[in-house]
Amino acid sequence: MKKNNYTQYLYFLPVFILIVFIFIYPLCYSIMLSFFDWDLTKPDQHRFIGFQNFIDLFHDPLFLPCIWHGLVFTAFSVVFEYLVGLTIALALNSRFAVLRNVNKALLMLPWAVPIAINSMIWKFLLSPNYGYLNQIFEVLGFNGALTKNWFGDMSTVLPTIIVVNIWRSFPFYTIVLTAALMAIPKEMYEAAEVDGASFFQKFRAVTMPGIASSSAVIVIFHIIWTFSNFDVIYLLTAGGPLNASEVLPTLMYREAFTHFNMGYSSSIGLFLFIVLFIAVGPLYTKFVLKER
Amino acid sequence: MLKKIMTVFIIGMMVCTYGGYLFAGGSIESSSDQISLVYQNPWDPAIGPDGVAHEEKYAEYEDLTGIHVEHNVMTYDQLKQTLVVSGQAKEGPDVFNMLGEWIPDMVAMGLVEDITDEVKAWEDYDKFPQSTWDVATVDGRIYGIPSTASTRVLLYREDLLNATGFEVPKTWDDLREVAKALTQDTNGDGNPDIYGFAFCSSTKATRGPQEFAVFLNSVDKAEFVVQKDGKWVPGFTPDQAEKVFQLYYDLMFVDKCVPPYSIGWEYDEMDPNFASGSIAMCMNGSWIQQRMGAGVNPESWKTADFPYYNTPATFMEVKVEGVGAYSDHKKEALDFLMWLYNRDNIVAISQAGNLPSRSDSVESPLWRPDPVWKDQFISVAKYGFTIPSIPMIDIFESCMSYLQEVLYQRMTPREAAEGFHASVIEYLDTEVNV
Repeated sequence: MKKNNYTQYLYFLPVFILIVFIFIYPLCYSIMLSFFDWDLTKPDQHRFIGFQNFIDLFHDPLFLPCIWHGLVFTAFSVVFEYLVGLTIALALNSRFAVLRNVNKALLMLPWAVPIAINSMIWKFLLSPNYGYLNQIFEVLGFNGALTKNWFGDMSTVLPTIIVVNIWRSFPFYTIVLTAALMAIPKEMYEAAEVDGASFFQKFRAVTMPGIASSSAVIVIFHIIWTFSNFDVIYLLTAGGPLNASEVLPTLMYREAFTHFNMGYSSSIGLFLFIVLFIAVGPLYTKFVLKER
Repeated sequence: MLKKIMTVFIIGMMVCTYGGYLFAGGSIESSSDQISLVYQNPWDPAIGPDGVAHEEKYAEYEDLTGIHVEHNVMTYDQLKQTLVVSGQAKEGPDVFNMLGEWIPDMVAMGLVEDITDEVKAWEDYDKFPQSTWDVATVDGRIYGIPSTASTRVLLYREDLLNATGFEVPKTWDDLREVAKALTQDTNGDGNPDIYGFAFCSSTKATRGPQEFAVFLNSVDKAEFVVQKDGKWVPGFTPDQAEKVFQLYYDLMFVDKCVPPYSIGWEYDEMDPNFASGSIAMCMNGSWIQQRMGAGVNPESWKTADFPYYNTPATFMEVKVEGVGAYSDHKKEALDFLMWLYNRDNIVAISQAGNLPSRSDSVESPLWRPDPVWKDQFISVAKYGFTIPSIPMIDIFESCMSYLQEVLYQRMTPREAAEGFHASVIEYLDTEVNV
């Protein structure tokens, strides 16, 4: 019996080593850096400064705009990703759907294509002078009113990034929700129909409870992923113009790799981690862990 | 039984993987004794002939010395990031290309080798202008070989200019007048299809600050920063900066000869737009000729001195090849650089992009005179200025942020000039002069 116990630890060892090296060590190192003045261009001046990086962060003129942009980006992205994903999942699951598997495969494309390529495509589509969208608006006679520099206009940049993010992420919702919808027993719908339930009554009483736990899990994960998202925003605008799309992850990146201020950058990362932990942790415990 | 087999299998796999890794790592050096140098630079053979020429030279060097040169092509963003990140792990390439303005940072981080003694003993040392060595120098020590020295000129479409009847602009007033005349709505939809002029204003701060510096330098020879009594101070007054911000504003909003959608452009937007014919004039370097193949009317692309306010100016962009501080083959790396940047080789690898930094390049049998793409750029070098050897990224970012404030009409040129001037003072006092 004892021997078996040792064996099971041995199985766990490779994964444990991997986790320590690629997660625990960088996390601890990053936490340590956030309490240091750690400028890579001044290697002989690294020193412990306590909470000064966090004090500087709260006084940074970009701090509140970054939080606000992050909240707007996350709220609109997650809500519309869910609504679009659910609508298409319902359509795919309806009895009128044709070529169901082909459509499912096609719907996966935006999610399956690497984000770098996605971003290039969108930058091209929305290019102010030769982008298709502006050309279509021009043909439709909206020249000047709707032809815009979508990523270069401070009033349109954040909504445009949100649209790109929704387009990229909704297929994941569709796939998860389609699977959840298929798991709802048909008999429940038949029983509701026998009781004379309308489409909306069936949706409220049968469909929503059936997909509630799957919905909670993907929404919670997407809140975390979207609020800490770096790639979409950085590839499309790098936080510009004039910080109009700046969020904490892009600020963190710029501090680390443009200004080489690793201590300050780590404090932004730690702050982001703590915020997400406090905000989403209880939800995660309630819906995800409980579900498991 | 199955558990035992699995345990043995997993341990076996781990041992084989680790053993294989060790074996592969050790065998390359020990079995052939061939030295391999890693050279990171942006000269991409897929984009231009200079990249192809580079790889031909690396092969030639291997034939001569048996030393293999591994070519890692990357953009400047990637290059800088790779150097910094790998440097933290005490790793890095043997040889790499640097923008002149990076060097103070690279030196401070200990990523680049001091080669002062070796290059001063090099017989070709005097063949490079002192101004190019100055870019590679920090606190009196030399940290690389200046490989290219490219100036900026006015790039324009001669066919469009001739159609307007104007001469090549010489001053800022001429520039505004000509740019306005060149701006045309050719399809009658109410919006110009060709704009007379364009500039870079991205806060990524690569070409935008360089262009701004040229405008600034042409106002009384003002510079971003200068050294005075051992201290770094702003090399411009708010009045001088205001003139530059005002010019940008006038071109964009008064003359409407700059694309309204070009705010935030970086070089990767500027260059294709000129090549595709939507821009008639801009400030540019000799590398733009690599876009002629896919460009509109490339035979009418011409170059001239850049228009000035009261004194001619141009930015002399010097790129420098450094030896990695973590290279295992520093001597071989430097020998390779000295060979690659001898008179004939430097000409061979600089035919279609940046100009070679050596003053004896024109004596090489490989030198091909070209009035548009070589002579014009060389002729303006006499009033070229370089970026000083202090970390400049904060000043560059600040400059472009204030420019965007003007272009988004959130500040007047005067407010931007005063804000920029104050931000330079603050940066120098808190980060440089301490």
